[in-house]
Amino acid sequence: MRRYIIRRVGYCLLSLFLLSVTIFFFVRVTGDPATLLVEPGASDADIAAIHHQFGLDRPLLVQYGLFMWSLFQGDLGQSFYYQTPVFELYMQRLPNSLLLAFVAMGLSLLIGIPSGILASVRIGGFWDGFGKLFTMLGLSLPSFLVGLVLILVFSVYLGWLPSSGAGTPLHLIMPAFALGWYFAASHMRLTRSSMLDVLGSEYIKLARLKGLPQSLVIAKHAFKNALIPVLTLAGINLVIMVNVAVVVETVFAWPGIGRLLYEGITFRDFPIVQGVVILGGFMIVIVNLFIDILYAVIDPRIRLES
Amino acid sequence: MSSTLHRDAQANLLGNRSGMTRRDLLAATAIGLAAGAPAIARAAAAQDQLTYGIHVSLAPTWFEPAETSGIITPFMVLYALHDAMVKPMPGNLQAPCLAESWSASEDGLTFDFVIRKGAKFHNGEPVTAEDVKFSYERYRGADHDLMKEQMASIETPDPGHVRFKLKKPWPDFLSFYSSATGAGWIVPKKYVEQVGDDGFKKAPIGAGPYKFVSFKPGVELVLEAFEGYWRKVPAVKRLVMKVIPDEATRTAALKRGEIDIAYSIRGELADEVQKTPGLSLKPVVLQAPNWLYFPEQWDPKSPWHDVRVRQAANLAIDREGMNKALFLGYCKTTNSLVPYTFADYWQPPAAVYDPAKAKELMSAAGHPGGFDAGLLYCDSSYSNMAEVSLNNLAAIGITTKLQPIERAGFWAGYSSKKYVRGIVQGASAAFGNAATRLATFVVKGGPYVYGSYPDIDALYPQQADEMDQAKRAAILTKMQQLVYDKSIYAPIWQLGFINAVGPRVGESSFDRIPGFAYTAPFEDLTIKA
Repeated sequence: MRRYIIRRVGYCLLSLFLLSVTIFFFVRVTGDPATLLVEPGASDADIAAIHHQFGLDRPLLVQYGLFMWSLFQGDLGQSFYYQTPVFELYMQRLPNSLLLAFVAMGLSLLIGIPSGILASVRIGGFWDGFGKLFTMLGLSLPSFLVGLVLILVFSVYLGWLPSSGAGTPLHLIMPAFALGWYFAASHMRLTRSSMLDVLGSEYIKLARLKGLPQSLVIAKHAFKNALIPVLTLAGINLVIMVNVAVVVETVFAWPGIGRLLYEGITFRDFPIVQGVVILGGFMIVIVNLFIDILYAVIDPRIRLES
Repeated sequence: MSSTLHRDAQANLLGNRSGMTRRDLLAATAIGLAAGAPAIARAAAAQDQLTYGIHVSLAPTWFEPAETSGIITPFMVLYALHDAMVKPMPGNLQAPCLAESWSASEDGLTFDFVIRKGAKFHNGEPVTAEDVKFSYERYRGADHDLMKEQMASIETPDPGHVRFKLKKPWPDFLSFYSSATGAGWIVPKKYVEQVGDDGFKKAPIGAGPYKFVSFKPGVELVLEAFEGYWRKVPAVKRLVMKVIPDEATRTAALKRGEIDIAYSIRGELADEVQKTPGLSLKPVVLQAPNWLYFPEQWDPKSPWHDVRVRQAANLAIDREGMNKALFLGYCKTTNSLVPYTFADYWQPPAAVYDPAKAKELMSAAGHPGGFDAGLLYCDSSYSNMAEVSLNNLAAIGITTKLQPIERAGFWAGYSSKKYVRGIVQGASAAFGNAATRLATFVVKGGPYVYGSYPDIDALYPQQADEMDQAKRAAILTKMQQLVYDKSIYAPIWQLGFINAVGPRVGESSFDRIPGFAYTAPFEDLTIKA
């Protein structure tokens, strides 16, 4: 078990290292941030001064080394545009993103799981067809369109909900739905297929042969087992919702991390993009590590095989 | 028993010991949701507050006059937080503000400013000559090298007077000091030295009509009226500037009354605002002409070398049609690359749309069937304009292919002279006057000049050395006439920047300073009774 955990931690560190290399060099391919911080026609001296100020005039490998050194000390650097430490900006936005992500996740599970179960037990029927349509729309409709339609209907025409910003529970409803629908669709699909797998298994047939009522077979024997992969996916999805709800947060002017990332990309603010991606990656790695360890604890075959 | 305990625990969590059930909780939530909707509209409509929906992310560097670049956007905040010695105001592009008056010596080497009595910073300290000198010397934005090179010394004979001594006569000193840079915007020396540059950006203190209250980077800026502002006490007590990046969301927020003023609403959304009762558009013509530029005109082998071809291209552009289709007619068509609001602007003959005459000119130039002009480079944000130009040019036989480039990349390519073939669709919203605009885009050595004409180049140093304003204006007029005669550019329009206001706004302070896109002066804002 100890060897297994050490190996997993090693993989995590390697993943984070590769992520840091990728994002560091990838953002630099997008162009020179100095050209977005000066007015058109700025002199070469002005641009050079900005390069010097942000350390962009140093060799790339030196820049990367300094970036990693700061990272080890818990310093994500200072935003070019906001001239504020990235970690401070991240922490300012994190509560909003967590709130949005938890509500959106709650909605997606509330919608996705029951409809997935319903579709699996009524396969080929109305609910299955409805579920497929719901899934198709959820996965294919772009969230900016969903967001704008929601604003138009519930904010402009009906006047029930605020169009943008944060502050009250009402502000949460539309962005949470716009964000949650996509994930509700994926949760529904996974619940349906997972339930179908479980319903076809021998122990379910045995339960039925024993004469247990259908509701008990579904609720007690099938659902619990089908839920494991759905919850695993939900954990990863939650981290994604926290860190990369870029479109939804921008459309609804929700002051979260996704919007911070959008601003970072727009202004070629390298420290912001690097910081958000690294912290998001860190969260995903930690969640995965936790799940791996949990699996190993629950299922001895996993740690023995590895 | 356990159920009762559970219920009590739940009630305790709710801060209510009366024993609320789950059903009670749901009902209360529903009532709260229903009641909450109108409350939002009321919250936004606080009696003494105006709320802005801003189209760009507010940056702390905009609180700092010393870092002001030559673009217009930071002035959106500077006009509220800070004040300048001399700045553009309604009816006067060089209005005395923190400077009560000033005088220039006959030789043009000395400028004496008298500081306004009673002018003070938000911390109650008076504005002094030391603050003026300090603000000039710490300026590090665009043109700081120029400002430094020209200045011999700054003297402060007493707290109410400051004297700028130039190394040589510089007719544009006031233009640069009052609007093209942030050097004339005054910050409190003692406070800046006490808190440092970073501290100043976190909690700026200025001498403007509004005090800084709070700032969430990229989210919201809150300002409060400064009772001690010298010009007048602002009528609106509180301003909230919310960043709402999506244009459709800004429009929805305006319609719902969540915001009172929305910056930058374009196209169909502007039309929608126009049709909504209670809302109105406040278009502003920016000091930002757009144009087509023909960089091949200095190549004798190119069709563009013939002035008749360039004139034909100018005649082929349907500016009015483009204006109505893309900007609801709110742009101002022009035939000059110098904004009409700039000092020493020369009014050229009006731009004409005459494709028949354009075809005649093409035939006369030996291109009756037209020619392939290669690529039409443009900033991708304005590719809709370029598409119309492309079609207009095709109608007289000049065929091009559109090459939209992301904004920063486009400007980098334009200034590094990459677009030597084809056509360039350019623009400039930089501050300045006719001389600065010509220096940047026409005269040899300018950052966007691909070639130049000796007669125009020869006039440039003459105007720079001329201290007689009338004679200088005559030289600048001659230069602009030559630009027009040679059809170096095909100017299109000065861009219309469309803002929108809600029903609560009395005086919106839009379009009071010619060419300025945003609210200014802020102290004139009012809310309807």
